[in-house]
Amino acid sequence: MINTLMLIDDENLFHLVFEDACSILDMALSFEALDSSDEANKMFKKWFPDDPDHERPECVFVDLNIIGSSFDGIEMIRKINYEYGDNCVIGIISSSEDEKEIERAKKVGAQFWIIKSDDIEPRLEEFMEDYDDYKVKKAPFKIYR
Amino acid sequence: MIEVTEHTRDVLLEVAKKRKIYVEGSFLKILKAPKGDKEFEDYLKLCKEKDVTTRKKRLEVTKQVQQQNKELVTKQEETDALMEELQEALEAAKNAEWEAEKLRDEAEKGKEQALEDLDLMQKRSQFELIGTIVRVALVIIIGVGIVTTIMYGLAILSGQDTQIIGSTWSNMFGILLTNAFSIVGTIMGVKYASEKDS
Repeated sequence: MINTLMLIDDENLFHLVFEDACSILDMALSFEALDSSDEANKMFKKWFPDDPDHERPECVFVDLNIIGSSFDGIEMIRKINYEYGDNCVIGIISSSEDEKEIERAKKVGAQFWIIKSDDIEPRLEEFMEDYDDYKVKKAPFKIYR
Repeated sequence: MIEVTEHTRDVLLEVAKKRKIYVEGSFLKILKAPKGDKEFEDYLKLCKEKDVTTRKKRLEVTKQVQQQNKELVTKQEETDALMEELQEALEAAKNAEWEAEKLRDEAEKGKEQALEDLDLMQKRSQFELIGTIVRVALVIIIGVGIVTTIMYGLAILSGQDTQIIGSTWSNMFGILLTNAFSIVGTIMGVKYASEKDS
């Protein structure tokens, strides 16, 4: 089970869907949802290098296009991986299947790409099967369709 | 994991029994029953089942709302596209109306032009007819005048009685001149009337 899970997505309704799906699948102990990458950036900046009073998330799901934010999900991943320590499992959750964007995400160190759709639970279940390998950075980049 | 104390356990079980209030959410995941406490284990199991059922229901509803939102967005996009098409059609109709108006004006002008041409042609035909009548009348007048004058001249030259022919020539000449002036007057009148009409 994931200790702390974070979702960065501008769609508030999806926060509820994701939280309930995670809870039903017993995926995480705690869950935090943010609706902007700027807010997430501030939090990671605060946590970096290490804040003993705040536990940083163990796994982060980032939406590709975060409306109302200064930068998109891929840039967020780049910042977390290259500026804030690279010590969490991180990937994209998006309805897009754009090959160029997937390549961009891979380049900045995204570990997975989950296609967002109405039926998200089977993909999250499959993701959880691979999770331990993601934690030790053993699993190759994977797209969950 | 948090192992609950006996007092907390008793309170939780009592609240569940009497008020039907159960622990839910993430907190439930870190609670642990004391070893061998079957009753509290069952309680935690029931709490989890209730929590999952509630979340499943909420997930279903949220997904439906999400789906409806998507449909609304799609319909809004379709409506916007239709409105745009409608606007374009309206614009095209306005242009067509303007074109039709322009063509009607041109047709009106063409009709007026045709009527003017027709009028002109009619007048021209009338003048040609009048011209022909005048020429024929003048030929007759001059012809009769010449014939009468020749006959009168021959009568004078041959020494015959010229009284009758003389009065006839004189009367004839007078009548011919009168008729000639009458014709010229009529022509002038017709011409004046035609010019006034146009």
